[in-house]
Amino acid sequence: MNQMNSIFRLEGVSRQYGDVAALDGINFEASNNEYISLLGPSGSGKTSLLRVIAGFEKPDSGRVWFEGRDITDVPAHERGIGFVFQNFALFPHLTVFENVAFGLRNGIKEVPQDEITSRVFEAIEMVGLAGLEDRGTEQISGGQKQRVALARTLVMQPRLVLLDEPLGALDANLRDRMQTELRAIREKLDVTFLHVTGSETEALAMGDTVAVLDAGKVIQSGNSSEIYDAPASPDVALFLNRFNLFDGVATGTTFRGPFGQVATPVVRKASRDVYAIRYDRVQVFNMGDAIPGPALDARYVASEYLGSSIMYFFEAADGKTVEAEHHLSFGDPQDYKVGQHYVLSWDPAQAIVFGQEGAE
Amino acid sequence: MESKILKPILAVYVGLFLLFLYGPFFVLGTLSFQQGPEGGPQFPIIEWSTYWYRHLFGMVPPSRIAPLPVGEALIRSLTLAFMTMVTATVLGVMAAQAFRKRFRGAGVVFYLIVLGMMVPGVLTGLGTSLLANNVLGIERHWWTTAFVAHVVYTFPFAFLVMLAILNRFDGSVEEASWSLGVSPIRTFRKVTFPLIFPGVLSAMLFAFTLSFDEFPRTLFASGRDQTLPLAIYGTFSVEIHPNIFAFGVMTTLFSFALLAVYGILMGLSVRRAKKQAMQEDIA
Repeated sequence: MNQMNSIFRLEGVSRQYGDVAALDGINFEASNNEYISLLGPSGSGKTSLLRVIAGFEKPDSGRVWFEGRDITDVPAHERGIGFVFQNFALFPHLTVFENVAFGLRNGIKEVPQDEITSRVFEAIEMVGLAGLEDRGTEQISGGQKQRVALARTLVMQPRLVLLDEPLGALDANLRDRMQTELRAIREKLDVTFLHVTGSETEALAMGDTVAVLDAGKVIQSGNSSEIYDAPASPDVALFLNRFNLFDGVATGTTFRGPFGQVATPVVRKASRDVYAIRYDRVQVFNMGDAIPGPALDARYVASEYLGSSIMYFFEAADGKTVEAEHHLSFGDPQDYKVGQHYVLSWDPAQAIVFGQEGAE
Repeated sequence: MESKILKPILAVYVGLFLLFLYGPFFVLGTLSFQQGPEGGPQFPIIEWSTYWYRHLFGMVPPSRIAPLPVGEALIRSLTLAFMTMVTATVLGVMAAQAFRKRFRGAGVVFYLIVLGMMVPGVLTGLGTSLLANNVLGIERHWWTTAFVAHVVYTFPFAFLVMLAILNRFDGSVEEASWSLGVSPIRTFRKVTFPLIFPGVLSAMLFAFTLSFDEFPRTLFASGRDQTLPLAIYGTFSVEIHPNIFAFGVMTTLFSFALLAVYGILMGLSVRRAKKQAMQEDIA
């Protein structure tokens, strides 16, 4: 990522709340005209990070750069960074039109009336709300409110828009539609979206770049497939919610876990020894079948139908839940008997192994 | 059944409460229609008449009963209540706004402000007068010492009202405004103030009514020119005539008019508040 292309950069940004470090020396750089999703569990500091970038809060230490300028001490209203709230934060005393026009009317820069009108109509049109200009904010649905919030921000033509769990207050159906629309709208404009979410599917689906935040630190960033196929640490694998994680002992070339001792071609350096295998890599065998690789005895508990795939839940001897995902395009679902024991196995080459003695 | 016994007792209690609340006013109201100028402030009503109302406005032939010397005092009290209302409300809004952020000593400052409501009024008035006269060299007037005493008295009420309103206020609309490039001052004017306006109205009503009939603090602090409550009290010391009652009815009607204005303004902004509440529900 070269300097010209960078839109904002965080240098060792830290923020402390009492004894808790919400942000712990974050370094992050985002390139221009990109959709970045920031994935983190609750309490990972993701909202604090957005608030620091927006200027609602000051970092205790570190610098924030935006468009090549150090904006750490610049107040929020002079930053030119858009912010979309989870609860929409529309102005309840104003109509849809006036909500969108608010920044143009009251901003530092004087904008002529006819330009305000045309830009507001254009923004409302873009988010698909044409015709609702005169509605009050209580006369529109949740999805429409989020569109108003988006139009209100985009009409100011910011180079960077921060979205704080923007789909969190919407129902699942609407959430999927808004995901597509958010991406489409962003692509039309020369703007970077930084979208914070606690949902791994949302993060992977939306982001050109996905950054994973944990305990106030960015623990991995890359494109979706990099993150998905090669999580950098057991924590990332955990947040992705796509891996069975087993504790065990990793030596240089093998891993001893509840499924026996398995050869491991590559071991990644990590703070603890963890064996990760994706849900959809796990295969289910009957007891007594000949199994070449790892073999985990597990009791069948339940299944969950997901539309294009089905998820089987097993319980291993140590009580841990192990999940196996079966894509229905690969064949009909199997009928397993609840309470009966099966053997779970997988191709060891597809596992991701973390070890304290692994390679960097 | 518990309620079989409890309910009638509570009903009687409420009835007594209402009787004691409105009884005096009812008696006063009735006596204000006593015949004049011979009729006194007691039952029975000799003959129903509006004499004392006309007497109030100088519309009756001169008699041995002098007109109430309340005209100027009324203007004075209205002016003072208005000044107090504006000042106390502005201060209350500002102080409550300051308390939205935790600052060092916030707890101590809060209790110091609220304790101001508990200090005995007569002492505050006396103290204010002594401080002004002997220490600061300021003359006692209704618009100096009494004004200060009234503001000090009503400010905690305005402050508490605004604090309650701002506690429920979702600050993200302000942040949204900043992020749209609108300065904090303009944000307050265009976003915060319209949304907290119902609270401001209540604070204003509190400050106005408290100041308008304030007695103990004003007693020493008002100086030569008296406010309305003092002027009325002054007439008691001579002889009581039903013209006082007529005046009481008039001021009560005025208060009701004030309440009506408040109710109308409140009703207008209630729709806004509803919108806000619905948005909070979704959040």
